[in-house]
Amino acid sequence: MARVRLENITKRYGEETAVDDISLEVEDGEFVTFVGPSGCGKSTTMETVAGLTQPTEGRVYIGDDDVTGLAPKDRGVAMVFQNIALFPHMDVYENISFGLRLRKYDDEEVRRRVEQAADIVQLEGMLDRMPAEMSGGQQQRVGIARAIVRNPDVFLMDEPLANLDAKLRVHMRTELQRLHRELDATVVYVTHDQAEAMTMSNRIAVLNNGKLQQIAPPLVCYNEPTNLFVAGFIGSPSMNFVEGTLIEDGLETNNFTVDLDSTRVPGVTVGDDVTMGVRPEDVHLSRFEETVGSSTAPIRAQTDVLEPMGDEVFIYILLSESVDGSMKQDPATSPNQLLMSVTPDTAIEANEEIEIILDRSKIHLFETATGDALVHGITDLSEREPGTTPTEADS
Amino acid sequence: MTDPTDDTDSTTVTESTDNSERDPTQDPTLHRSDGGTVLEDDRDAELDRGPLQQWVADSISHPERVYRAMFYVAAIFFLFTTLFPFYWLLMVALTPEGQLQDIVFTPNGFNPGAFVEVFEVIPFHIYMFNSFVIALASTVVVLVIASLAGYAFGRLEFPGRTPLMLLVLVISFFPPAAFFIPLNDLFNTSFAILEPITGDGTLYNTPFAIVTPLSAIFMPLAIFILTTFYSQIPDGLEDAARVEGTTRLGALFRVIIPLSAPGVATAGVLTFIAVYNEFFFSFLMTDGQPQNWAPILDGILAYQGQYQVLYNLMAAASILGVIPVAILVVIAQEKIVSGLTAGALKE
Repeated sequence: MARVRLENITKRYGEETAVDDISLEVEDGEFVTFVGPSGCGKSTTMETVAGLTQPTEGRVYIGDDDVTGLAPKDRGVAMVFQNIALFPHMDVYENISFGLRLRKYDDEEVRRRVEQAADIVQLEGMLDRMPAEMSGGQQQRVGIARAIVRNPDVFLMDEPLANLDAKLRVHMRTELQRLHRELDATVVYVTHDQAEAMTMSNRIAVLNNGKLQQIAPPLVCYNEPTNLFVAGFIGSPSMNFVEGTLIEDGLETNNFTVDLDSTRVPGVTVGDDVTMGVRPEDVHLSRFEETVGSSTAPIRAQTDVLEPMGDEVFIYILLSESVDGSMKQDPATSPNQLLMSVTPDTAIEANEEIEIILDRSKIHLFETATGDALVHGITDLSEREPGTTPTEADS
Repeated sequence: MTDPTDDTDSTTVTESTDNSERDPTQDPTLHRSDGGTVLEDDRDAELDRGPLQQWVADSISHPERVYRAMFYVAAIFFLFTTLFPFYWLLMVALTPEGQLQDIVFTPNGFNPGAFVEVFEVIPFHIYMFNSFVIALASTVVVLVIASLAGYAFGRLEFPGRTPLMLLVLVISFFPPAAFFIPLNDLFNTSFAILEPITGDGTLYNTPFAIVTPLSAIFMPLAIFILTTFYSQIPDGLEDAARVEGTTRLGALFRVIIPLSAPGVATAGVLTFIAVYNEFFFSFLMTDGQPQNWAPILDGILAYQGQYQVLYNLMAAASILGVIPVAILVVIAQEKIVSGLTAGALKE
C-alpha cells in the first residue's frame, strides 16, 4: 500500500486542456473519489496515475517514487474498468491470473492466490467459466478479483459500477466498501455519481473543467462547499441558489431580504453581488418555526408542483406572484423558484399559499462573480457587533 | 399517340377500386414498392396469354423463383469454369503418354502411375517443399510486420496516419514487373556481409530473393485487413492488459491478435495462397534448379524437355501442387467461421 501524490498535473490535447494543474495527495489506505460531470477530466487524471496517459506537465508519485515516466505495468497499480474489460478469449481463472502469469509466479502460488481472490469477491466455482457466460455483476467481480490478486499498492477504479443496473450497483457499492476495509487498500475511485462518492469515500475530490474544485471528506463537501460548483454538484436534489445584492443590513434578492450584518461577511462589501445557497431540506414551512434554531423572517410563497418520493416530498415553490404558471425551470438557477423537502405527513397541496423560513445556520453565501464561498451559516451574522458601523468597516 | 393524362387517370381509377375491394393489410402482394398494385394471380386477369407472357407474369408475382434460378445459373457457371479445368487436368494426368490426342470427356486409357512418375522423373517433392517454405516464410514475415503496422494504423493517433495508409495502399497497386529489373540487379550483386549465409554473397537462388519482394507486394492487403480488425478491439482491453503487466507489444500479441484471430487467419491464408501461386518472381529469381529453392512452377515446367513435353506428368504435378492449398483453405475456412461465431455461443 502506498500514497499517491499528483503534482501540478496538466494534460492538453492540442488546444483542449483536459486536466488543468491538479495537485493532490491520497494517503496510504485512503479511499478517495474523483467526482465531477462528464468531461471534467476525472478519468484523464486517473489515467495519468495508471500510466495509460502521459501528463503534459507535472509529476506523479506512488509511495516515494516518481513514476511519471514508468510504464503502467511497473507502477504497482491495478485498475477496474467501467466497461469491465475482461479478456473474452480467456476463462475466469486465466483472466484473474493474467498479471501473475506475466510476472512468472509458479503455478501453485498462482492457483493459491487466484482462489483466495475469487473467495474474497465470492466467485467460488466459477473459475472455468468464460466471461460471456456471466452476468454483469459477476463479470465486474472478476474484474475486481483480477485487480486484488496482485496485491497492488494502489487500486484505480474507473466508474466500475456504471454499467450495472441500479440494484446491483447499490449491492456492489457495499461490497467495495467491505473490500476496502478488508484489504486496507489505497483506492482512487472515479465516478460521476455524487451518491457513490458520498457513501464510499474517505475524501471526495470534486473536479470541473479540468480543475480541482475541492478535496475534502464527503460531509465537508456537503456542508462547507468551497464554491458554487461544489455546492450545486454535491447533494441530490441540488442546492437552491438565489442571486442577490449585499445591502447594509442584509442580502436583498428579487423577492425577499435576509437580515445580516454585511460588514462581517469577509471579502465583499455593500453593493457586491452575492448568491445565497440553501439546500431543500433547510427550507421549512413557517408553522414549524420552533424546530429551526435560527430562522429568517417568513417569506411568502406559493407551492407549484409536489413530488412525493415516499420518505419525503419535494415541493417546488414560487416566490413571486408575478411569475406565470409555466414554471419548468431548473430550481437551482431560477431566481423565483425554490425546491424544498418536507416529511410526507405534512399537510400541503399544490397551488397553496404558504410562508417559508430558511435555516440561518445552513445558509451559504457565495460571491456571484467568482463563485467562491464566503460564509457557511449566517447565524452569528444576524446582529451587528457593538461598536462597528458599516462606514468604519468600509474605510 | 395516346394522351398521357388520360392514361394515368384510368390507371388511378382502376387501382383505387382494386384497393377498396380488398383489405390491403391482409394481402402483402398489394404493397408494391413502386406504389402500384399487382393482380394476385393470373386468374384475376381475364386475358389470354402466351407461354412467355405467362412465364413473365409468374416471375413478377414470385420474384424469389427468379432469384433462385439466377443463383443456380451463376453458381453452375462459376463451378463449371473453376472445376472443369481440374477435371480436364485429371483426365490428362490419367491418360497414358502418347494417347493424349483423342480425349473427349473421359481419359483415353487409365494410368494412375503418372502421380508416382512425377517424383521419379524429377525431384518434384523438393520443388513442393521449396514452394511451401517460401509461402510459409512470406506469410510469417507479412503477418508479423503487418500486425505491427496494423496496430499503428488501427489503434494509434499520429499525424499523417491517413496519408501514410493511402501511400501503403497505392504502392500495392504498382505492377510487380516494375520492381523486377532493379530487384534482379540488386539480388545479383554480391555483398560481403551475406557471404556466410548464401555462399557467393548474392540473394539470387535463395528463398530470400522470392520471399522479400513477395512479402512486400502482398503486405498492403494484410495491413489493410489487420488494421480494420485491430481497430475494433476496445481500448479498455488493451489498457487492462497494460495495467496487468504487458507492454504495448505484449498487449498486441496476448490480447489484440488472439481476439482478431479471424482477421489474422484471413490475412495469412490470402498471403499464403498468393505467394504459393505467384508466377513472376517465382519464375525469375532462381535458375530453376530444385537445390536452388526453385518453386513448384519450375518443377512443372521441368517436364518440358527440348524434344518432348510430358503433358500427363505436368497435369499430375499441377494437381499435386494444388492439394496443399486446397487443404489449407478448407481448414482455414473452418477456423475463420469458428472464430467469428466463438463469442456468440453460450453453453
